Amino acid sequence: MSYIILNGMSSDDEFIPKVNQIISEEFQQKDIRGDTIILHDKEIKPCLGCFKCWVQTPGICIIDDFGRETAKKMIQSDILVYLTPITYGGYSAELKKAVDRSLGLISPFFRVHENEIHHEMRYDKYPNLVVVGILDKPNPNQEEIFTTLVKRNVLNLFCPKYSTQVIYADDDEITIKKKIEESLREVGA
Amino acid sequence: MSKQLTFLMCSPRGDKSASHTIGSYVVSLFEEKNIVVKTFEVYKTLRKQERIEEMIKSIDECDIILLSSPLYIDQAPYMTIKLMDIISETFKQSKIQNKTRHLFAISNAGFLEYYHNNLALKIYEQFAIQNELIWAGGLPIGAAGTYATYPIPESLKMLAQLPEDDHRQEIYHKPTKILDSVIKTSVDHLSKGEIVPKDELQKLEFIPMPLEAYVEGGKKGWLEAAEELGTADKLRDKPYER
Repeated sequence: MSYIILNGMSSDDEFIPKVNQIISEEFQQKDIRGDTIILHDKEIKPCLGCFKCWVQTPGICIIDDFGRETAKKMIQSDILVYLTPITYGGYSAELKKAVDRSLGLISPFFRVHENEIHHEMRYDKYPNLVVVGILDKPNPNQEEIFTTLVKRNVLNLFCPKYSTQVIYADDDEITIKKKIEESLREVGA
Repeated sequence: MSKQLTFLMCSPRGDKSASHTIGSYVVSLFEEKNIVVKTFEVYKTLRKQERIEEMIKSIDECDIILLSSPLYIDQAPYMTIKLMDIISETFKQSKIQNKTRHLFAISNAGFLEYYHNNLALKIYEQFAIQNELIWAGGLPIGAAGTYATYPIPESLKMLAQLPEDDHRQEIYHKPTKILDSVIKTSVDHLSKGEIVPKDELQKLEFIPMPLEAYVEGGKKGWLEAAEELGTADKLRDKPYER
């Protein structure tokens, strides 16, 4: 089993690296191997919205930078972790930049799933998804948006199992560990 | 003194996008009401500090912010979020004067169903709340590609020529007429400094054709595009399969 953490923090964040460390340690304890990508450290250009990853070079983004490598690591992992400051209820810009560039992991073709239009799968197997959002303090509106966003992503990205956690900046280490353990359990790790 | 509007066009596809075509139409209606508009193509604007400062100055002076963005995987694309971060940071540093400003958003999805846009609009609302903007509402537009090529008035002229019993009346003409009406009413309210009533925006909450028909139409479109490129037999490739 393998994991990849996409860390969407900003460069001056002092709290998220601690959460990232706890998640990595939890994986190590379970003998699950993997890596973290600190997204702001990487050269990932924004998606051009050109759909060439669907029709010209199917499955591969035409921009040859670390965005390609990130998409490859995402689909080749068993557990994909999004770690992000909750930003207006959604993902951070840094995380979204990588997620946008993963569009080629799904097929351009549509299908009707649960009475809604979604894309078809490109691959036979997709990773389970754990999404960890960080907030300074509880914010019910943004938390509701965030958990709904993850549910919608799961529908569009075919993750067989998923878990969402919200961690507050004043959560102590024991609380954070408990939340991470719970999420990893929910995705079968 | 004339009211001012800052138009933030957030699609990387520029004038080929629904965000541009629909947003520009909305802007033209504001201009007819003598509202002064400054337009910023966000993908170009955020590349240059000078241009960012012009945009901030425009936001500082304006009464209405119009944000038109595509939907990428259930929320706004990276650049729209980055834009909101830059604006939020400027508000935080008190570099923008306190005054009444409305935020109105257009969210454009490639999926048929309007409601794929709902989360994106809620996120824009949170952005407004965080920065003490008045959330004036937003247009959740499904099948937005339909509106990318021609401005709405031109589309309406072409569609009006269809025979009354043509099936495109129901799936294209009627939805375009509803969208046009909602846009005009929205502009009326916003130009008077009012938010757009929810029941007006809810008129866009319809699904104009059977889902299966849209699925089939999409399939045909992608295959045609791929055939031109000689990639039709590769569309289901799995380059990163383990």
